[in-house]
Amino acid sequence: MTSSNCGVTTLRLDSQTERASVHLLPCEIEYDGAAEVSQFFTATIKDRKHEKTVSFRGRGLKGQEVICPQGYSGLVLREVNKPGSDQEDRNVKVSSVFQKFTYWNLETLPNSDDGIVMAMAWPDLADAVSVLHFLQ
Amino acid sequence: MTTKKKRTPHSQNDRWVVIAADSAVEPAKKEDSDPTFVRLRNPSTDAASLYLLGSGDGQLYEVKAFNEDFHSWFIGQTVQRDGRLLFVTPMDPLYLLLPYLIKASKEGKFQPVEQVVMDEDFPACTRLLSCTRALASLHHVAEEKDVGRQKFHRYSQQRTLDWLQKKAERTVKALRKRDLSVGEGVKSSTYVRVKHEPEAQAEDFLRYAHGLLSEYISEDLSRALHKHLQLPEISIPKAAEPPSKKRKLSDQPVEAGDDYTKFNSHDFARKNLLEDSANVRIVTCHPVLGSSAVPSDHSATQEDECSSEDPGKGRQNRDEEHVCLLQPQGQSGKKMSLRMMSGKLFAFCAFDINKK
Amino acid sequence: MDLSEFEADNSVSCRLASAIPDVCKTQDCCLGIDEAGRGPVLGPMVYGICFCPVSKKEDLKNLKLADSKTLTEEQREDLFLKLDEAKSFVGWALQILSPNTISTSMLQRSKYNLNALSHDAAIGLVQFVLDSGVQLKELFVDTVGPAAKYQEKLSQRFPGVEVTVCPKADSLFPIVSAASICAKVARDHAVKSWTFPEDMGELDTNYGSGYPNDPKTKAWLLKYLDPVFGYPQFVRFSWSTAQTLLDSKAVPVHWDDDEEDGEKAAARQNNTSMLSYFKASAQQSDSRTPHRFFTERRLQSLHTL
Repeated sequence: MTSSNCGVTTLRLDSQTERASVHLLPCEIEYDGAAEVSQFFTATIKDRKHEKTVSFRGRGLKGQEVICPQGYSGLVLREVNKPGSDQEDRNVKVSSVFQKFTYWNLETLPNSDDGIVMAMAWPDLADAVSVLHFLQ
Repeated sequence: MTTKKKRTPHSQNDRWVVIAADSAVEPAKKEDSDPTFVRLRNPSTDAASLYLLGSGDGQLYEVKAFNEDFHSWFIGQTVQRDGRLLFVTPMDPLYLLLPYLIKASKEGKFQPVEQVVMDEDFPACTRLLSCTRALASLHHVAEEKDVGRQKFHRYSQQRTLDWLQKKAERTVKALRKRDLSVGEGVKSSTYVRVKHEPEAQAEDFLRYAHGLLSEYISEDLSRALHKHLQLPEISIPKAAEPPSKKRKLSDQPVEAGDDYTKFNSHDFARKNLLEDSANVRIVTCHPVLGSSAVPSDHSATQEDECSSEDPGKGRQNRDEEHVCLLQPQGQSGKKMSLRMMSGKLFAFCAFDINKK
Repeated sequence: MDLSEFEADNSVSCRLASAIPDVCKTQDCCLGIDEAGRGPVLGPMVYGICFCPVSKKEDLKNLKLADSKTLTEEQREDLFLKLDEAKSFVGWALQILSPNTISTSMLQRSKYNLNALSHDAAIGLVQFVLDSGVQLKELFVDTVGPAAKYQEKLSQRFPGVEVTVCPKADSLFPIVSAASICAKVARDHAVKSWTFPEDMGELDTNYGSGYPNDPKTKAWLLKYLDPVFGYPQFVRFSWSTAQTLLDSKAVPVHWDDDEEDGEKAAARQNNTSMLSYFKASAQQSDSRTPHRFFTERRLQSLHTL
């Protein structure tokens, strides 16, 4: 316990970053790594009348764009030079940035009750709840 | 036709999708260090939680994860299995300093804060003192004394509560601005609502704000703040209880704000089970088991329990399960199955009493 | 046959139709229904109808129509041209069900099976013809499923129309043969000229008949299996051939309505938050339960990165 609490992870900001198109899917894909996203997925997205549709593995998805709250940015962090033991300090870098992403529901129309939409309200409220404000 | 494969456990990942305050990732100035993720003692749970210290430890951020089942990401031309979305939001370092000040106050004397904020389990806690104006804001939660060039502090609950009250007021404002639904908590009969609606609504907002702030303070302080904010207590009437062996209801009265407000009433509302839940009152409450205690006019039967929806506990714990008659204003009433666990009250499911 | 309307977006269903002959709006008409491409794992399924006045049945016979399956592709093309030449008294309409429509319907949360899909397509076409003013009196339908039930369904749906549902109708009734030719020609065209919305690069279009037992089709399915996306929309994911290949060769994908996780789906329908909230609290009964603001938003503290 003691030793594992010591470990710090440095967020290195010196690295080059790229903008990435980001999609949150309504399924768990048991895979991490390269995929032909633009060829198979992005190319088949239909964007009609404010309604985005696409299909994945034969299942119909409906999507909506989500924009980062003001003063916030989307980052993809990646661990670099992963240490051999959990005693050592770790390093992550920003590998890509985004200002918006698309989240997809399985068949149902995206709406304000969706978990991710509700979660996006957190930064705004966090400001009031937990931020250091100078009173008077 | 669906895939019937079992999900394999997810091993350690090396990528994270994050929504972060821009200030958290501003490039470091001169010799300042890069931001770092550190584990610090969470004042609410007393266990380790992940936080981020900005460049040069200038600012503290908390890290929360949106974690819902069945999500993965497409990021550029890659798949990321871990579908969580991390939020990195600014946080007042005083919240994390408070437990150390409170602990030291047991000795009752003024001390240099550097001697107080020490933790062998979480050595990084000393870095909190480097946060911009963390030292300058200590007077919100402690009395200060200057002796020569040295500053001494002593925890003050009064100051802390005043400071938390201001936070609560700020939170209420933010909640109102966002038009968040806060007033769906179930009200008990011991708390008869006699106030006018706007006033009652103000109380719901304050109760909700108190619940949110309680995520950042210890249980003791949460209770003290509850009193300080003059939030009415909510408890289950003892009279309705049977002479049961496990009398958890009476042993540990349910704390207002701590429990009732945590009902996921959003779901009730969605299912129209409680059409106007702000006006719902529990008029009776009795366990499912123990027929002697069941009032004759609305006796509980096996069908009423809905305990099959309880994934964790079997029927042997039924003596902890209670059926309540909820009475929305101007309606005949709904029944709801309640369960006590660890002194906390859970609402299970509501069903129309008229269906019987 | 001009399929450009379908080709503009081959991910969805599309209805194509000839002009309605004037004579069909004044005289009692018969109508035949048949389908093409029900079995293949690739490409669209096409529902076709053909109609003409009852009085013109003999003229239709003289066109020497036969069941499309007994004809070569060339013969079908010729016969379709003949039908087109007879447009003064013969009309047709098609419903092209894209493979994507078939996949997403059959794999839908509330399953929509192929029979229901087919029946709805057929009923939609008949209704379209009625709405266009055709004096429909006789309806002939070829079927692979139980005939009696389907006949009853259609009779109820279209009162005043004499309905005949029977197997092999496409060889017994010229109007059904005509419908089968229209459907088959459209299906052949759609498959041959399929434009992949996906960026498939150099693509081998030697996919054979599209039937699951065709070795060429099998080889093609193996060659073009993508470990993440599975297949282009040209493939019907709901076919067991495709599913089996995906199960063994592609990375597993889990949905909240998977049978394995049926508990989750049930929870979603009943009261998700309540149950997951309860589970969570049961696991960590010692620590304080997070405020509902966070549980409702699925937000939790992290212990480690």
